Amino acid sequence: MKKTLFAVLFGALVVFGMLSTGYCEIGVTDTEIHIGQWSPQSGPAAAWGAVARGTDAYFKWINANGGIHGRKLVHHYFDDGYNPARTIAGVKQLQEQRGMFAWVGGVGTAPGLAVKEYLMQKKIPWIGPAAGSWHWVTPPQKYLFNVYPLYLGDAQLLVEHAAKKMGKKSIAVVYQEDDYGEQGLAGTKHMLEKYNMELAAAVPVAMGDSDMRPHAMRLSRSNADAVLLFISPVAASRIIGIGKAMNYAPQWMSSSTCGDCPLMIDITQGLYEGVITSSFGMLETGEKVGDLQHINDPKHKLVAEYKKDVYGKFAARDERWGYTFVVGIGLAEPLVEAIKRAGRDLTRERLVEELEKMENFRGVLGRITYGPLDPNNPLTRIGQQELFLHQCTADGGSRILTNWIETEYIPMGH
Amino acid sequence: MDMKRDYYEDVKHFSSGVMLFWFAALMIFLLLYPFLFKNYYVYVANYIAINIIVVVGLNLLVGYTGQISLGHAGFFAIGAYGTISLMTLANFPFFPALICAGLIAACFGFLLGLPALRLEGPYLAIATLGFGLTITTIIGRIDILGGRQGLHAPDLIIMGHHLNTDRQFYYLVMAIAVLLVFFARNITKTKVGRAFVAIRDAHIAAETMGVNLVLYKTMAFALSAFYAGVAGGLFAFVLRFIEPELFGFFLSVFFLTMAVAGGLGTIAGPIAGAILLSFLDLELRNILNIPYVGEWLKALSTSYFSLTGVSNIQFIVFGAILIAIMLFEPLGLYGLWIRMKKYWMTWPF
Repeated sequence: MKKTLFAVLFGALVVFGMLSTGYCEIGVTDTEIHIGQWSPQSGPAAAWGAVARGTDAYFKWINANGGIHGRKLVHHYFDDGYNPARTIAGVKQLQEQRGMFAWVGGVGTAPGLAVKEYLMQKKIPWIGPAAGSWHWVTPPQKYLFNVYPLYLGDAQLLVEHAAKKMGKKSIAVVYQEDDYGEQGLAGTKHMLEKYNMELAAAVPVAMGDSDMRPHAMRLSRSNADAVLLFISPVAASRIIGIGKAMNYAPQWMSSSTCGDCPLMIDITQGLYEGVITSSFGMLETGEKVGDLQHINDPKHKLVAEYKKDVYGKFAARDERWGYTFVVGIGLAEPLVEAIKRAGRDLTRERLVEELEKMENFRGVLGRITYGPLDPNNPLTRIGQQELFLHQCTADGGSRILTNWIETEYIPMGH
Repeated sequence: MDMKRDYYEDVKHFSSGVMLFWFAALMIFLLLYPFLFKNYYVYVANYIAINIIVVVGLNLLVGYTGQISLGHAGFFAIGAYGTISLMTLANFPFFPALICAGLIAACFGFLLGLPALRLEGPYLAIATLGFGLTITTIIGRIDILGGRQGLHAPDLIIMGHHLNTDRQFYYLVMAIAVLLVFFARNITKTKVGRAFVAIRDAHIAAETMGVNLVLYKTMAFALSAFYAGVAGGLFAFVLRFIEPELFGFFLSVFFLTMAVAGGLGTIAGPIAGAILLSFLDLELRNILNIPYVGEWLKALSTSYFSLTGVSNIQFIVFGAILIAIMLFEPLGLYGLWIRMKKYWMTWPF
């Protein structure tokens, strides 16, 4: 009798334990899911603050539509000023004192790397760091899901288009002296080697450089007929302006960082017309090419809906509907999708399971695919590798040049 | 008050039993700190301790010797890169790597001290500023130091023990900080410290009295750089990843602001400055959580200054603190402390 009673009690305890683990995940209550994010709203990288504001508006829109399985998304984002010491402080405080279920976005390589180990050790999912870096996938981590495509892909597409489609014979690259620029340089060299071409010039731009005349001079001397830009929007606008003044007019091509045509046309006073840029998110583009459609096309429901409802109703006052804002939405889409798929019984492990099952998921960015973790295969966590090319037009719009193109992963970095 | 009657009284570590008591109480508090506070505040303490090391070192140069430096982020970077690369490339254990990195920074400090023999005031500020900016550009071009892509810190192992958590790291950082602060205080009581002060007050007079300007000015730079180098080595293990952009101009200004806000030419002042500004640096983002004030600030900020939250609040508050100190209390927090002490000791008169 005693044994039976003991067995029943034990069984009840086990069942109760299992049930309670289903509803006792940190950051998840019956009515809320707490998601954390950092982004610079001040300091040198403040322009990237729109990423978090995009995610915030997206979550508000989801909540206004009833949330996910009866739970609202509570978005905690803070300004780290692109200072990793502040990133660590904010992440630790929110995680330890408020309890986040997962983290999303997070601008910058250095701030992200400062908290990567902490989040991974605590087995906290982190989806979509807002920086194209090898560090997120080398080696792949169980709880870290990359979304942002590596800049190597931008270089691949741009060089291929210049050399094969446009028949350019001499290609130069201008690159910012950081992880982003180095990736662009490495990708360009890799592709030129593939096509047996020489790099006409590799011109570095230091972070604080404001005088672009020496850089433009070096490009002009190289006689390159296509120049790839892996620099900041401000540096790109200056270098194109000086090139114009020097009557040096190669085919300028830029990474997605300088791919916001309305913004670039505005700050260059029209000089950005004709520049070919890569992109990994849908924006106000030209005619339909393959899966890509004009944003104002009523058939393109998702982007039109985001612009009308997410941006129109929930964006901060004076917010601009731009590339960075859209990226903030796009980086959070896989997380939201996985939470939906995980159902009411939401745990971190369930979330990871659902993300790992994600195949060819498409929101406003390119297709996103993960797989069961393979420590030797970065592709299981790389997420998106698709990009497309478009060309800026004088009115601030752009003309789509290619459909989505899958880029190749080139193992590099430290 | 605080009048010294003989030389030995001046060089004593503790001027009274009360001082010794408070020092012992502080040490016990520091020992128990990780058990009294949440992990987040242990991280904050580590960050503050690292800044204390830099600022106490900077104060030896700026406060005691009267030489300005806007390039301390450069020494900080040398310490961070030196420690990590000596550990990963030359397989140095942590302590030898940290000390060597500090010494490398000190060598650069000595070199920067040489132009300081001929430069003063704004000209020296520009020279040191140039050094701070150049050093990160150079590091960014050295592939073996990770170039622009940065370096990952290795595991921190001391005598077979992995220091993984903030609490474990706390005791290491705090021990080094206490040791270096004590060392700095000792220096100010020695011939070297007196030579520094003599140079600051009147370098020609100091020279005529036999103070070797070349020796002591370069020594002040080297010593100050050593402190920044050691702090940089520790900081690398807080972030676990370093890249050149982390050691920009603003960091040098931040260090100098902490020293000035605390009170130049004292030991306690820069410590107070480092505690206050480091704490504000990490905590000001929480200002929105203060009832009423937070809401009001947010409304004000989003109406005129920013799209969201209270971005740039650090810059605004630090600027306001500096202006207030220049206007009302040039001796900084230490000056406030002296005023308070005087007030209470002479109360009710």
